[in-house]
Amino acid sequence: MSVKKMTERPLGFRSVPVLTDPDVAHYPEFKDFLVKTFELDKEPLAAPGLLDVDGRCFELIFVGRSGQPFPAAIEIAALVEGLEPMDTAQTDKDLWQIMEWLVDGVGGRWTIEALTTMGKIYRVTPDGT
Amino acid sequence: MTRTIADLGPDIHRMYPYASNFANVNGWRMHYVDEGPVDAPPVLLLHGNPTWGFLWRETMVPLLEAGYRVIVPDQIGFGLSEHPHAASAHSLDNHAANLVALIDLLELKNLFFVCHDWGGPTGLSALLTRKELAAGVAVMNTWAWREPSSDFHAQVMPWLTMHAPIVGPYTMGRQGGFPGRVMYLSVVDREKFKNGAMKAYQRVLADPDDRRLTWQWPRSIPINPETDIAGDRFAWLEEGVRALEIPSCVIWGREEVVFTADVFASHWHEIWPHAEGTHMVSGNHFLQEDSGREIGDLLTDFAKRNLRGTGR
Repeated sequence: MSVKKMTERPLGFRSVPVLTDPDVAHYPEFKDFLVKTFELDKEPLAAPGLLDVDGRCFELIFVGRSGQPFPAAIEIAALVEGLEPMDTAQTDKDLWQIMEWLVDGVGGRWTIEALTTMGKIYRVTPDGT
Repeated sequence: MTRTIADLGPDIHRMYPYASNFANVNGWRMHYVDEGPVDAPPVLLLHGNPTWGFLWRETMVPLLEAGYRVIVPDQIGFGLSEHPHAASAHSLDNHAANLVALIDLLELKNLFFVCHDWGGPTGLSALLTRKELAAGVAVMNTWAWREPSSDFHAQVMPWLTMHAPIVGPYTMGRQGGFPGRVMYLSVVDREKFKNGAMKAYQRVLADPDDRRLTWQWPRSIPINPETDIAGDRFAWLEEGVRALEIPSCVIWGREEVVFTADVFASHWHEIWPHAEGTHMVSGNHFLQEDSGREIGDLLTDFAKRNLRGTGR
C-alpha cells in the first residue's frame, strides 16, 4: 500500500468525481487530520489536495459551508488521463487505500484493523469479501 | 424519472400489488400506497432505513381485510419517492415535516401511527405536530429519545467506523451495504429474504447517489452530546411522547440485536405505562420480513379496540 501526498497536478488528466462527503467533521478528528495534512488552516482555498495511490492520482477538493468550520465537506475525484475510461474496479481499490490512509492518520480509536473487519462483515470491501 | 411499483418488475409487483400514488411534500415527490375505503379510519405505516413501503406488504393485508384505510408512504430519499442529493434535505426535521405535509394533503384524521426504525423519530414528530389528528400509535424496534442509546451505535467496530467521514459514503453509498448485507444480517430467515424480498430493497437504491440517506440518516442518531446534530429534536420528541395519552402499543422483534427489547421496548413502557405489549414476534431489526402477517393481526386487533370514527 502506498498513499502519498503529491504537490503537482499532472497535466492532461481530467477530474472524475468518485466520492462526496457533505460532513467531513462528523467525527471532528477526521477534519482535523485533513486540515493538518493539507495545511488548510494556512490557505483554505488553495489548489485541491493531491494523493498518489500506487501511481494513480486523486484530487481532494475541500468545500466550505457558511456557519461551519472549514472544510465542511470533501469531494474526492480520480484523475484520469485524457478521455480514457476510468477503471472503476481499480478506483474502488484505491479509495479503500485512501480510507486506510485516513483512519491510520487520524489514529486513536480509529484503526485499519477495525475498517478491515467492518468491511468483511458487511462485504463492502472492493472485492466484495 | 418517476417510477411506479409496476415499473420495478412483475416479481416485485406480485409481492406488493398496489397502485402508486404521488404527492408533493415540501417540494419533493413522495410515493405512497393508499388502499381501503377512503372514509375508513386510516392506518399510517412508516418505515425507516433503508427500506420503503414494500416492508409493510404483509402487515397491511389483515388491516385491509378488516376494512381500514392503509396509507404507506416511502420516506423522501427512499423507495419510489424522490432521492434528493442535497445533504440538508435529509435533516430529521425535514423528514418529519414531509410526513406532516402528507397528512395535511390527504386531510386525514383519527389516524393510527405505526412506526418502525426511523419511522419512529419522524412519525412521532409528525404526530406531535398534528396531535389532534392522532387516535393511536404503535412502535416497533424504534426510539424517540437521546438516552438510553444503543451500545451497538457507540462501538467503533463496526458502527462508528462504518459511518466515518469518507468511509460512510464508500461503504453504504458506493458499495451499497445497507440494502444488501446489513439487511440480510438483520432478518431471521436469511435465505428466504435473500431469495425473495432483498431485490426489492436493492432495486430502488440501484445507484450510489440514490443511497445517500442510508449513510446520512444514521449520523443523526444521538450518541455524543458534543456533536449530535439532532439532539435538540430528540429531547423535544421525548418530552412530547411522554405527555401523550392516546392508546399505544409496543411490538418487538425477539431476535433484535441493536434496539434490544430489554432496553428499548422496556423504555417505551416506562414512557407509556398505559401501552399494550410488549408483543414479541419472531424477527430481528426488520421484523416485518419474518412476521409481517402476525404484526398485521396485532395491529388489526389493536385498531378494532381503539380506533373510533371516520378517517376524514
